[in-house]
Amino acid sequence: MANYFNTLPLREQLAELAKCRFMNSSEFADGVEALKGKKMVVIGCGAQGLNQGLNLRDSGLDVSYALRPEAIAQKRQSWKNATENGFVVGTYEELIPTADVVLNLTPDKQHTAVVKAVMPLMKEGACLSYSHGFNIVEEGMKIRDDLTVIMVAPKCPGSEVRAEYVRGFGVPTLIAVHEDNDPKGEGLALAKAYAVGTGGHKAGVLMSSFIAEVKSDLMGEQTILCGMLQTGSILCFDKMVEEGIDPGYASRLIQYGWETITEALKYGGVTNMLDRLSNPAKIKAFDLSEELKVIMRPLYNKHQDDIIDGTFSRVMMEDWANDDANLLKWRAETAETNFEKTPAGDVEISEQEFFDNGILMVAMVKAGVELAFETMTAAGIVAESAYYESLHETPLIANTIARKKLYEMNATISDTAEYGCYLYNHACVPLLADFMKGIKTDVIGKGLSVEDTGVDNKRLIEVNTALRSHPVEAVGAVLRGHMADMKKIV
Amino acid sequence: MGSIIRLENLCVNFDDRFNLHNIEWTIEPNQHWVITGTNGAGKSALAAVLAGVGDIENGTVTGLPNNVGLVSFEAQAELIAKELKKDDADIMDVISLGTPVYEMIFDNCQDPELAHSLVEKFGLSKLLDRAFRKLSTGETRKVMLIRALSSKPDLLILDEPFDGLDVDTLAMLQAHLASIIETTPMVMVLNRFDEMPDFISHVAYVDQGKLTLTVDKKDDNAFNELYQLLHLKTTDLSVPEADPANKLPALDPSQPLVKLNQATIKYGDTVIVDKLDWTIQQGQHWQLSGPNGSGKTCVLSLITGDHPQCYTNDIFVFGFQRGNGESIWQIKQFIGYVSTALQWEYRVSTSCKNVIISGFYDSIGMYTKSTDNQKKIADQWLALLGMKDRADQPFNKLSYGDQRLLLIARAMVKHPPLLILDEPCLGLDDMNRQLVLALIEKICQGSETTVLYVNHHAEDKIEGIENYLGLKKN
Ligand SMILES: NC(=O)c1ccc[n+]([C@@H]2O[C@H](COP(=O)([O-])OP(=O)(O)OC[C@H]3O[C@@H](n4cnc5c(N)ncnc54)[C@H](OP(=O)(O)O)[C@@H]3O)[C@@H](O)[C@H]2O)c1
Repeated sequence: MANYFNTLPLREQLAELAKCRFMNSSEFADGVEALKGKKMVVIGCGAQGLNQGLNLRDSGLDVSYALRPEAIAQKRQSWKNATENGFVVGTYEELIPTADVVLNLTPDKQHTAVVKAVMPLMKEGACLSYSHGFNIVEEGMKIRDDLTVIMVAPKCPGSEVRAEYVRGFGVPTLIAVHEDNDPKGEGLALAKAYAVGTGGHKAGVLMSSFIAEVKSDLMGEQTILCGMLQTGSILCFDKMVEEGIDPGYASRLIQYGWETITEALKYGGVTNMLDRLSNPAKIKAFDLSEELKVIMRPLYNKHQDDIIDGTFSRVMMEDWANDDANLLKWRAETAETNFEKTPAGDVEISEQEFFDNGILMVAMVKAGVELAFETMTAAGIVAESAYYESLHETPLIANTIARKKLYEMNATISDTAEYGCYLYNHACVPLLADFMKGIKTDVIGKGLSVEDTGVDNKRLIEVNTALRSHPVEAVGAVLRGHMADMKKIV
Repeated sequence: MGSIIRLENLCVNFDDRFNLHNIEWTIEPNQHWVITGTNGAGKSALAAVLAGVGDIENGTVTGLPNNVGLVSFEAQAELIAKELKKDDADIMDVISLGTPVYEMIFDNCQDPELAHSLVEKFGLSKLLDRAFRKLSTGETRKVMLIRALSSKPDLLILDEPFDGLDVDTLAMLQAHLASIIETTPMVMVLNRFDEMPDFISHVAYVDQGKLTLTVDKKDDNAFNELYQLLHLKTTDLSVPEADPANKLPALDPSQPLVKLNQATIKYGDTVIVDKLDWTIQQGQHWQLSGPNGSGKTCVLSLITGDHPQCYTNDIFVFGFQRGNGESIWQIKQFIGYVSTALQWEYRVSTSCKNVIISGFYDSIGMYTKSTDNQKKIADQWLALLGMKDRADQPFNKLSYGDQRLLLIARAMVKHPPLLILDEPCLGLDDMNRQLVLALIEKICQGSETTVLYVNHHAEDKIEGIENYLGLKKN
């Protein structure tokens, strides 16, 4: 199989990358009608599989689960998830032939094997859906001509997909139809009904393409979302300890700091996150982030280039073929970092203190978000897509670090994201070595001293203007408007 | 000032017309109390006990001073009756003019100087020679006040002293009372909180002959809650109407609201609910009780559609046989639901008004623009709850009890055919329990909603609920 994107002429590549439109809520007036009475069979009952299935069923749709025989025989977690929630569970042979829609919600790495196994069992003219386009775009999986292929990708972890639905809301969702597989022209109607069934239409739906989804999703997860937080955690921790700060304090400041500062990001973008700092600290964070952006821009460009031209997925798939040698090695190395091994100390850190003593962390988040957004949009990805794949998801990932540090983050995210995260981290830590030499505890660990409190009005105005006029802020304000009343995460 | 007054386990009978039960009350020197409550609750009775009225059947009163000044309608009526009797008793052929006002005031007066100045201030100078029984009710009331105030009382009891006074006289009286607080402990009965003088230090709340709450005025929260409680108990406002624009689909009146047939919930081999049959007819209020772990919440979530195993059971709700392509929102539209868990989940930073409006959408938080009429209805609910001025305050900054009240309003706003109150008083202090129960009573009076009340203890009953289902721990 060849990389699908690379088989397209440049003109189509550009058109696909640029495909992204924020849909109007009136476009969902038909609700779940297009899926009513149809049999939806989900393969895999993990994070996405279970939670999407619960939502779809509660929206009045017919959902059952096809699991691999081992999972059923050994009563694995996936089997328990499905049966305890009262779903019908069966083998591929039992369920796939009856399915009108097959929802492939297995890990991306398994897609080729899974799709090869189920495709022959699928009935003529049925629909195959994904929640991530890797298999189609990067692996070039060819789907039978009579089948419709769609994607409905919630831009949140599975637990969130369910929790928001139960509240009467949903999570932002990206939908797409694979143009090569839309024989009956019903792909869009099915994808829309599916998005309604998961509640996604209430939070905002982007009509995009498989290609735009994959190329932006990969970029976001390996740079700002996971890579930057991992690199930042390791560098900030080691610096603080080197400067004599209590390791327990340093560990807590980082573990819970990302969550606290990105909470401000979630409510009011980069501007609000920096507005939480005092004026002198804000200017400091701004200057640091400008410096970071200059140093890291080539790395962001390289990641985006490798993603676009398929180098990234090729190298990663080589590692898959090599029994995950690199992935496992990096995973072990991450577990051995000092940050990971030092438990958070039993000290009280107030909400504001996370900002005041974490100026460098704020600068890193700002630099990462803006760089990822700028790089994606420069590669032809539309701003809305770039926003969801950078700023929007950062707080969600930061929450996982608060739960159980880098281990939890890497366990929660997909294999693809984990691989990309290590890749980024490996390049970024040495890249920032010189920069880190100049860093002292005033920007990480202790906060600015009283003597540093003066600010130049002119400079402050410049900084505020620069913050507010960054393009990620404009699109963010609009998209956040659609998610008006977001849950306050305590 | 005098000693501590103590009422201990006191039961008092007032001519078999009224009883006070098990009163526990301590009035310390330097405290000034207001007794409040609804009409007929026993406010005046409790005040009168301090003046020695009523037959003590049980318990003790200690520390009462000898000289207690009492002004009340009952005392006033008694005095007038006495005057009229004097008339009857008089020698037949002499026409009695009755006791003149100056005699009523100055005979046995402890402080004539004060009495003079009060006569002046109350505008009674011209009436001093008039017969007491010839005075108007307002005038006799003033005479009573002057008598009590100038008797140098060790305890002054004023039952609705401000009733019927004009604005100037009221201000004068208030100022005078404020000037004697150092020497005279006071207990007042007041219906209206806004008449409460600043010097009042404590408030007692009486309900059905019991002293149910005492509040230190310095405790702002408790004081506000008491205000709200009194408001809920006394307001003429009724439960706001539903929104005609959000009309629910009509239900077939011949069908039950809910029918569980052999409902079973199990996790692995653990059976939580075992073959439960239960039918709830329209208009049939139910109480569901059982200890923790008996599966109460599980049973409820089968009805509300929140339990995933509702798809593997035989459940009929609001015209839907579950598992036939209906969505949970089609079910939830018929249900108003309040529980502690909901309160925990309701962690959104939204305004009080929006919390109520979200009931129209069965959502936690608001994701749709509300209509003007929905806003109007939410305002009416806030007025009913006595929380008008808190419409725009963030919900998560409210006290736990106020949050609960708002969530009940949220559940009722659409007048659901079924209101589920899952341990509505759980975690609430006494005051807030009473607030919540007052609201539930109000709802039961003013709507066609069928109530399903769930609690821990079978003994905690709500009036009007006649059907009972008890679950046992499996
Ligand atoms: N996680 C996210 O935040 C997120 C967000 C949006 C989209 N997605 C996409 O959603 C899809 C599913 O991701 P996920 O995070 O839900 O995965 P997951 O939690 O790891 O669950 C995968 C499920 O697939 C089953 N499975 C694994 N290997 C299999 C195989 N070879 N054959 C059949 N079944 C297999 C597993 O069950 P057994 O091992 O018991 O068989 C498990 O139930 C991916 O395409 C992912 O990119 C994820």
